Amino acid sequence: MVDSLIGIESTAHTFSASVVTSSGRILSDVRDVYRAPAGGGIHPIEASSQHMANAPGVLREALLEAGIPIKSIRAVSYSMGPGLGPCLRVGAVAARSLAATLVKRIVPVNHAIGHIELGCLLTRTKDPLVLLVSGGHSMVVAFSGNRWRILGESLDLTLGQLIDQFGRHAGLASPCGTKVEEAASKSAKYIELPYTVKGNDVSYSGILTAAKNLLDRGVAFEDVCFSLQETAFAMIVEVTERALAFTEKKEVMVVGGVAANLRLSEMLKTMVRRHSASFRAVPPRYSGDCGAQIAWAGWLEYNTGNSIAIVDATTRQSWRLDSVDAKWRDARRS
Amino acid sequence: MEGCQTKLIHRGAEADLLLGRWCGLESIYKSRKPLTYRLKVLDDAVRTRRTAHEALMLREAKRVGVRTPYLYHVDTKGAVIIMEYLKGARLKDRASGMSRAGVSAVFGEVGTMVGTLHSSGIMHGDVTTSNLLETSSGLAMIDFGLSTHTQRIEDHAVDLRLIKETLTGAHPMIADLALDSIFAAYRKVVGGARLKQVKRQLSEIERRGRYARAD
Ligand SMILES: Nc1ncnc2c1ncn2[C@@H]1O[C@H](COP(=O)(O)OP(=O)(O)OP(=O)(O)O)[C@@H](O)[C@H]1O
Ligand SMILES: [Mg+2]
Repeated sequence: MVDSLIGIESTAHTFSASVVTSSGRILSDVRDVYRAPAGGGIHPIEASSQHMANAPGVLREALLEAGIPIKSIRAVSYSMGPGLGPCLRVGAVAARSLAATLVKRIVPVNHAIGHIELGCLLTRTKDPLVLLVSGGHSMVVAFSGNRWRILGESLDLTLGQLIDQFGRHAGLASPCGTKVEEAASKSAKYIELPYTVKGNDVSYSGILTAAKNLLDRGVAFEDVCFSLQETAFAMIVEVTERALAFTEKKEVMVVGGVAANLRLSEMLKTMVRRHSASFRAVPPRYSGDCGAQIAWAGWLEYNTGNSIAIVDATTRQSWRLDSVDAKWRDARRS
Repeated sequence: MEGCQTKLIHRGAEADLLLGRWCGLESIYKSRKPLTYRLKVLDDAVRTRRTAHEALMLREAKRVGVRTPYLYHVDTKGAVIIMEYLKGARLKDRASGMSRAGVSAVFGEVGTMVGTLHSSGIMHGDVTTSNLLETSSGLAMIDFGLSTHTQRIEDHAVDLRLIKETLTGAHPMIADLALDSIFAAYRKVVGGARLKQVKRQLSEIERRGRYARAD
């Protein structure tokens, strides 16, 4: 009988549960995604009510689809943070009830670490420089000492927020990534937008304001999408290149929802070539929020002997990934 | 510049660094080659802007008393700078092997340099341990492509934030001591009141950048 673990993701728009084995096979990954109304952002209370309503179904399906005996499940992991309070609480409550019912230990997982570790598993990278780009994060991260450490990030909006807030201004419904990418691919007309790199960090608020203004002045949506992508992506690729030159890592990996964007991947690939490193993007199915990231990172954590009692399964809305001791990586090294 | 013998010594994030001669002097050629992932119009604009800034600010920094390489020649259009070759090691490569006293001393020097720039209204914009060279005649600062003239507290705080990020991200073992030494020396140059303001702004920037998913 193979050991496995069930993980629950509930940081924002996605409620998901997944069963992953100790060797990293994803046996199930079931999701329910909250869709914001057109022109509006994610409403935390509405999202969490939807999660609450769908949690039992998602959990049941994830267990059934995995098709394994309950006793092979060693523990229940959940995303403790960072994320939206109301959504996080649904995940924590679901984890508590499931763990109580199955009589299992609970493993809290940092959502960002989940993205990174699942990415490493699926792209078979060992010690990559990671670009994590999503609604909640825009950061360049590398493992050093005993932790994943931040080498560069956005000083204000994340890349996902930039795209979504811009898209919503144009009347789209969040998430807007696919629609903005599609529109951008239809244009080749560049309109200058603020290119703001500050050392190893970027700032996106200037682009958002300028791009909204262009729309208001009647500039074609496609052209603004194109210009926004070219500028915003070049900035984040530049800081990734800075971190790559600095750390001299041999692998670069992109994870997070925005990793699904093909233009971003293409730019990263081009950049990485100049430094004779290899480039990997996480498969699109697992680039965004999912239970598998929480199950796999949960397994790594559980394997180091780290689990908590049910009463300690709380939430942490702003939990930096560089405060997590990644003991599983140290163990792998020695 | 063509026809002059040069040897590639370093491939940086932005530029190729070549060792060659300029009017008989051993020199560094910093060549910002086109980065093909960027759209050409954007790339050209960024490279020429950074080259122009770097050339100007190398001299400005020297004028206010911060050790930098002498500028020999600049070709803004071609995005090439020719400057004095400083023999030395990057602080990045030296930092991990230093004694605690060594860390205190050298990062104290960093604090003095940054304080000197700031009190003269200059922001370096890229103060990392790869842009500081330890030479036989003291610490020197390079890579002024992101430098600007500014008195804004926000900009000075951004400089210090980057130092903090680099130290905690890349040199975690010495980060606390190094930061304390930097702040102590910085304070001596800019004064306690200014340091307090800059530190407050630094916390504000960090708070802004923290997880902000709700929008
Ligand atoms: N004047 C100089 N004298 C001696 N060495 C130099 C000089 N200028 C640059 N170097 C060397 O080249 C490296 C890169 O230079 P610089 O920082 O200007 O370019 P960069 O593209 O930002 O590179 P990196 O990404 O490595 O910081 C420095 O870290 C240093 O080792
Ligand atoms: Mg540099």
